Amino acid sequence: MIVRNTIARHVTFAGRRALAQNRNTVRRFLSTQVDSIESSSESSVKQVHSLEAQINTTAPQSLPPVPTFNPDSNGTLDSPVAVSVAEQYYMFKEQQKHLGKLGSEISPHYQPHTLLNNPPSPADVTLELLLASEAHQGHATSLWNPANARYIHGIRQGVHIISLEATAAHLRRSAKVVEEVCRRGGMVLFVGTRAEQDRAVVKAAQLAKGYHLFERWIPGSITNGQQILGKCRTMVVDEKDQYQPQFNEQLYERPVLRPDLVVCLNPLENYVLLHECALNAIPTIGVIDTNADPTWVTYPIPANDDSLRCIQVIAGVLGRAGEAGQKARLAAAEQGEITFQPARNLKMPEEEEEEGSASAASKSKQ
Amino acid sequence: MGRYDFRPLRVRETAKALFDTKRNPRLPEWYKIIGDFPPTETLARPVQRAPKPVRTGKKPSRMFQPLPIRYKEDELRTDFFGDHPWELARPRIIVEDSGNDAKNYDWSKGIVQPGKQVDGESVVQRQMYLIKHERLPKAAAYDKARREFYAYRHRQDLLRRIAREEALYVGAYFGAGPLEVGMQLEDKAFEGWKSWAEKRIEDEEAMRSQLMSAPQPPSDTEAVRLAEEESVSEVEEVEEGVVQRSGEGAVQRS
Repeated sequence: MIVRNTIARHVTFAGRRALAQNRNTVRRFLSTQVDSIESSSESSVKQVHSLEAQINTTAPQSLPPVPTFNPDSNGTLDSPVAVSVAEQYYMFKEQQKHLGKLGSEISPHYQPHTLLNNPPSPADVTLELLLASEAHQGHATSLWNPANARYIHGIRQGVHIISLEATAAHLRRSAKVVEEVCRRGGMVLFVGTRAEQDRAVVKAAQLAKGYHLFERWIPGSITNGQQILGKCRTMVVDEKDQYQPQFNEQLYERPVLRPDLVVCLNPLENYVLLHECALNAIPTIGVIDTNADPTWVTYPIPANDDSLRCIQVIAGVLGRAGEAGQKARLAAAEQGEITFQPARNLKMPEEEEEEGSASAASKSKQ
Repeated sequence: MGRYDFRPLRVRETAKALFDTKRNPRLPEWYKIIGDFPPTETLARPVQRAPKPVRTGKKPSRMFQPLPIRYKEDELRTDFFGDHPWELARPRIIVEDSGNDAKNYDWSKGIVQPGKQVDGESVVQRQMYLIKHERLPKAAAYDKARREFYAYRHRQDLLRRIAREEALYVGAYFGAGPLEVGMQLEDKAFEGWKSWAEKRIEDEEAMRSQLMSAPQPPSDTEAVRLAEEESVSEVEEVEEGVVQRSGEGAVQRS
């Protein structure tokens, strides 16, 4: 293609040079001859164009002449490409057919969005995955919390390296807890309030059919929930997650819902939340870096909480575990087996007496 | 409570106690789950260093602190980057694909590996391979690996230059390079300074000519006359001093 274009351009340049020579001679002659010489130069330009077109048509690939960029020409092109969008599209396709397979082949590589769109399940957790997501990077040795000594593999260049075996073991244990809580119809709250953690948190909550928080935790949402969340709407669903509107009258005087399990991806910023959970005996799961206190949470996951990729892996694994638990619960419900205790103080309305109030669980939609 | 708050770890016991004392009418859903998958023990420190043999009056220290991680490559890395410090200034890809990237590399085949940027780490790994499998001494392995590295870099430079020449031949237009851009900026600043300085000179000359020739406004005549008198007297004093000093100089010189 380069050769063909070079020919075309040389022809064009030669034609222009001839034209310039013609014009130079014009100035030397009398003005009455100018018209005829102009017309002859025009015809030579036409000849050049026809020659160019001929070369372009006889070239092995029928491609349009590539306009060259000439910085001195004020944006005007030598040969204006006046083709429609459709023609351009077909030319592009034709070009792609010939040239598309040229170049290097890109081997499979890390694509950041896949961790969000298709998170790994607990069975996919390997030490290699954790290593690639930089779960092993702790903080500088001077910042460490000695309570994390048993999760630390060693010191490398002044930084504590977290043992990936400990990370994997604790992550699997936490995944099991999330799965079981979801299987028993528990309410799981995923919290990650650092920048860019929102998508991972929302995805995990969607998978586990739980709840998410990616902005500020309002202090007192558990200890003073009646004041803060009292206006939030709740609804009753049955064991197959079907909405049961006939219970709506009974929902006004009920206490505010509380999570059964809290997953916190950045415990350092959410001490208030974890403290409220501790006061109310709510189990918590937290990502504990080497500078965090592992006694703040029930189930620590020693990992790097500053790596977004690591957070996405952990949130995705826990979300997948919750998804498995929810699936198991719904499958059991199809078999007529209810895996959770019924909501308390809910009475069956008169006309729906025969359905059995034992199947009603209450959930909040905020 | 003391220094640590163990309430998060004891949620199960708390729930049981609340149930037993009838504060809560029933056990929570997760009560059995936490029994099945209990939290791991916390605040337990593994002993990292064996305490030294008993000496009098000396307590064993740093028994529980993590140990440094060392590899054989560290020394080779130090050598290479000490000799080639500007290799550290090159941008480097540190994102791992699968975590198993290093398993795809075969350092017996040379310094260029598929999917791996050729940099100082390649030299170190190649040198490690040569030391371990070809039984070369460290210096010989270093020389071999680094010569391969130099050849690769030289070839890359050649390819880049040829690509540039080819592109220029078929009509590519590269804009001004960084040096030219810097020169243009410098020229612009200099021209700006030149016009500013010319304007200042013009202004000063105009002011001076105005002072010398223009008639003074009548209100200022008295002040100007006084100032002129002062300046005249000062000039006279200075001139006297100069004359005296030159006279002294003449005396000393003679």
